Amino acid sequence: MRELFLCKYGELSLKGENRGSFERRLCLDIRKKLKGLDLEVERKWGRLFVSAGVDQAERVARGLASTFGLVSFALALKTDKNIDRIEEAALGLAGSLLGRGAGSRFKIEGRRTDKSFPLTSYQIACRLGDALRAKFPELKVDLEHADWILTVEIREAAYLYGPSQPAPGGLPLGSSGKGLLLLSGGIDSPVAGYLMAKRGLKIDAVHFSTPPFTSEQSLEKVKRLLTLLSRFLTEINLYVVAFTETQLKIKAGARSEHLTLLMRACMVRIAALIARRSRAGCLVSGESLGQVASQTAESIRFTGSLSDLPLFRPLIGMDKEEIVVLARRIGTFETSILPYEDCCTLFAPAHPQVKPDFERMTRAYRSLELDGLLAQAAASAQSFRFPAEF
Amino acid sequence: MGGVYLDWAATAPPDPDILTQADAVALGVYANPSSLHGAGREAGSLLEESRKRLARVLGCQAGEVIFTSGGTEANNMVLFSALGQAKGKKIILSGIEHSSAYQPAEALLRLGYEVKTIRAANNGAVDPAAVEKELDEDTILVALMLVNNETGAIQPVAEVARRMRSFEEKTGKRIHLHTDAVQALGKIPLDLYALAADSASFSAHKIGGPRGIGALYLRKGSAPRFLYCGGGQEGGRRPGTENLPGAFGFALAAERRAANLSQESAAADRLLRVLISELRSLKPGSVIPQGRSGAEGEPFSPYILCAAFPPLPGEVLVRIMAEEGYWISTGSACSSRQRKRERRRGLEQMGVPEATAQAAVRISLGWATGPQELDGFLTALKRRLAGLKGIFP
Repeated sequence: MRELFLCKYGELSLKGENRGSFERRLCLDIRKKLKGLDLEVERKWGRLFVSAGVDQAERVARGLASTFGLVSFALALKTDKNIDRIEEAALGLAGSLLGRGAGSRFKIEGRRTDKSFPLTSYQIACRLGDALRAKFPELKVDLEHADWILTVEIREAAYLYGPSQPAPGGLPLGSSGKGLLLLSGGIDSPVAGYLMAKRGLKIDAVHFSTPPFTSEQSLEKVKRLLTLLSRFLTEINLYVVAFTETQLKIKAGARSEHLTLLMRACMVRIAALIARRSRAGCLVSGESLGQVASQTAESIRFTGSLSDLPLFRPLIGMDKEEIVVLARRIGTFETSILPYEDCCTLFAPAHPQVKPDFERMTRAYRSLELDGLLAQAAASAQSFRFPAEF
Repeated sequence: MGGVYLDWAATAPPDPDILTQADAVALGVYANPSSLHGAGREAGSLLEESRKRLARVLGCQAGEVIFTSGGTEANNMVLFSALGQAKGKKIILSGIEHSSAYQPAEALLRLGYEVKTIRAANNGAVDPAAVEKELDEDTILVALMLVNNETGAIQPVAEVARRMRSFEEKTGKRIHLHTDAVQALGKIPLDLYALAADSASFSAHKIGGPRGIGALYLRKGSAPRFLYCGGGQEGGRRPGTENLPGAFGFALAAERRAANLSQESAAADRLLRVLISELRSLKPGSVIPQGRSGAEGEPFSPYILCAAFPPLPGEVLVRIMAEEGYWISTGSACSSRQRKRERRRGLEQMGVPEATAQAAVRISLGWATGPQELDGFLTALKRRLAGLKGIFP
């Protein structure tokens, strides 16, 4: 016995000649996400049909609910184009919806692409509506304010499906290439990764670890965040860079008010080096304009200047409250606020620069002669893999 | 666990044979001490024997000892007993109290009680005159710990008691004096009657006994109304089926520490004095309070030392030393704001600047700490601090 899910695309359906490649990405992502399950994925009529064993249906539903490129999906039944069979299926579907607490006002929508079928869409709807009310006397037809809609489509077979569940939309993972996310462990960067993944970017992450100035728990927290994100991001490689030596060298050689900017610029440079190795074409960060001193236009000009890759900042125009709402929705907020800081107070200047002078910062960076150290830090990054977890 | 343990003030490694004996009691004398049958009576008489033996160590009567789950509960019982009486609404306590006394006082403040916090002087001790000045007709309770858990500073509890008694004589008013003696028992000489406190709290796991058992000394004639209701155990003051194996193990540990006290504390004192002088020469001002020089007769526990190397955060130094195989603890932690404030509170209440308080670590020794362990600690500390030269101004 298998369960069938009917999945609807969003933006993807507007694509032209290369729509097929987007669809293939989508199928690939679903298969990878639900690896190990006995899955059948079929593309038909601009929709995706996914079937799996009944005992795996719940996992499949969780997987589809976090698949970029889909806008919604619904549990469906496929049956012969025989009105008695269709009625039987409709009764079964309605029974299971009522069992899960669906309301009593309903509506049947019929659609017939196979015009050889003897009943019109309207007749199908009437027939099934009567059957449902006969079996479940509490049900009422309500075309205006239905609690749920049962849709019947007559194609090469008959398909019935109930109310759909939302999926996150966007573009299939990987259809926009790969990006490397600078992940600190705070609230913002996981959200930034999510938003760019939603636009089809496959995400790898880089974290800068500074033991003993930060604790083992702060790295554990980053790993936990990636586990939480993995249901959306399907498979994430994490690169952990030992950053202590660089941090100490900057601390020893730079002016206190330049510390944060220099460290951030070095992180971007290391990330760019790792991106090259992991074939990521861009970087992603959780910066939001003006949130802290290192996120002003002047600061960002410098901190992004040591890499020639595009650095996407999807949160740049968002307020903290808006970011928090998203963090809660994707389930990372509670972990992000665990009290393990990503940077020791020792390296946070009391009076950081808000409007740094670009030339001066560049000179300050050059005078520290860090290129070799940064290359070495990038080369010796440890990597971890996070497969999708539900 | 494979490291050098220098966090004895947090908890002491249990004496294995004491745990074995407590285990044997748990397995063999399992009846409820309140049961009327023979097995219950046997358990009851072992509980009373444990109480007697602990009382003997404490220098009080058996009837003055109430077994509790530990020091935190004993402190909570006394502080919240303020709710059970109507003689007044003012509570005086030092700002350096352990959170198990300080936070109940904060709760009482929220409930409308007047809570007066007395700061410590920069030698780490509370000035008895400062407490005396606050005594008034409305005062019902004074709490002053005997040995501070962060710095080891011994507090003038007996002197505060003397001033309270003379205030009482003048006014006819009776005020309860409570002392948290958790870091004192088995570590410094203790004479409850000379202290003249009305109550004192103790914990077994700080002296090699089992976890989950402590005691409240309650001077005969002092009768605060505790808030617990239930089975009537411990004279109705701390109801709940008695932790007999714990109580037995506690008595054994207390006896052992008492028997070895002069020898063990003299050894700890020698070690700590070397440590103090080394730390002071490594970086002047690193010992907290800065006046602590290790000179003989200074009013400090020989088991606890507080030090700081600002701006290196205490938490970072704890991790650095853990990497080297030495387990110490923080005086403060880079954790959530609320906890950070609470961790720094004690030191800030003795006038330590915030930056120093944040850098503070606590090194606490025990009876098994040897000179080679502290030598190793000092060597590692010096090497690691030298490697971090860049961060010091």
